Amino acid sequence: MEEKPSKVSLKSSDRQGSDKESVHNDTRDLWTTTTLSQAQLNMPLSEVCEGFDEEGRNISKTRGWHSPGRGSLDEGYKASHKPEELDEHALVELELHRGSSMEINLGEKDTASQIEAEKSSSMSSLNIVKHMPHQAYWAEQQSRLPLPLMELMENEALEILTKALRSYQLGIGRDHFLTKELQRYIEGLKKRRSKRLYVN
Amino acid sequence: MRLKQGSFLWYLYLDKIYCLLSVRNVKALAEYFHILDVHRKNTLNDVLFYHFLHHVTDLKKAQISVVFDMLDWNAVGEIGFEEFYMLVCMLLARQNHLEGQFMYRHSRPVFDLLDLKGDLRIGAKNFEMYRFLFNIKKQELKDLFHDFDITGDNRLNYQEFKLYTIIYIDKLQKRQKTEEKEKGERKRSLYSKKMSHQVDTSRESLGKKWDLKVQNMNIDEDC
Repeated sequence: MEEKPSKVSLKSSDRQGSDKESVHNDTRDLWTTTTLSQAQLNMPLSEVCEGFDEEGRNISKTRGWHSPGRGSLDEGYKASHKPEELDEHALVELELHRGSSMEINLGEKDTASQIEAEKSSSMSSLNIVKHMPHQAYWAEQQSRLPLPLMELMENEALEILTKALRSYQLGIGRDHFLTKELQRYIEGLKKRRSKRLYVN
Repeated sequence: MRLKQGSFLWYLYLDKIYCLLSVRNVKALAEYFHILDVHRKNTLNDVLFYHFLHHVTDLKKAQISVVFDMLDWNAVGEIGFEEFYMLVCMLLARQNHLEGQFMYRHSRPVFDLLDLKGDLRIGAKNFEMYRFLFNIKKQELKDLFHDFDITGDNRLNYQEFKLYTIIYIDKLQKRQKTEEKEKGERKRSLYSKKMSHQVDTSRESLGKKWDLKVQNMNIDEDC
């Protein structure tokens, strides 16, 4: 998902009037435009940094992602931040207009540097985009074991349990509830394994 | 006693100093235990335990039975994850020749395991039953009891056992140091031989050149 720098500015101007603007897009645009005109914005740093951790990931977003049950809290957060974001957007709009006028005036030399600045801002927006929607996926991957290891464990367990089933059948009989339980478990393991192989 | 190559345990490894598994390895081991826990009791019964150990090692049935009795320290007929973890650490220590280090670092738990009767003493017979787990030979065991049974009751108390582990580690470290020294000396001697050989060959070539020069000079003089 790539966004060209010119599109970002257009999008931010288009969204000014829309009521359905998401916090996600607003924050991203803010982050993008903040790098273009840092000195000009009057927003205190604490407000900018509030929602982001050291690695630049949006903490407020992750809270929302991981705890869907706390919808009311998130909505309250969104509501409380809307007026501020509108003010910030007005400021951002002014900056963009100034920026566009400056582009015309300065000429070719500055376009290259501006393009670079826009590229870096789009990269930062890309990074944020990469982090935010996929954060749950990466969090889950962190806590999971690698698939090849899981496969190795399950295959080995299947061999062990198949031998154990024979001992169960000989020792306590086929009709014993433990034997049946083991049999069902082995069938479940085999189904899971075949599902994984089929998916691969 | 060897672990089966390519088995899951074969891929785990112990920290060489503390002889414990890392958190990642423990996590993987917990997952493996969970897969083997068929009846969802967080335990393995004797049948499952036997087939597991039989599959991943080359231990015989009698040895597996002895290990099960040793680990079932609550006498419930089942092995929990703690006991399973202890077993895996012992197997990996044995596999990676860290038995001495393991006994030194975890002398208390090992002593408690070997103290089957619970009278804070290890008899020679008990130690004989489990020496295959720690790669102790018959003669070494006899020497152990001869040298460290200070009280003279033909059994080891914890202090005597701890002393044995300390001296074992000390001997091991000294042996490793002498081996390293010998290696270093061998390398140095090889290097010096190489250098002297190079010097000799260069001297020879120089000498030959000089002789040729002198011959040429003599020929010129004659002419």
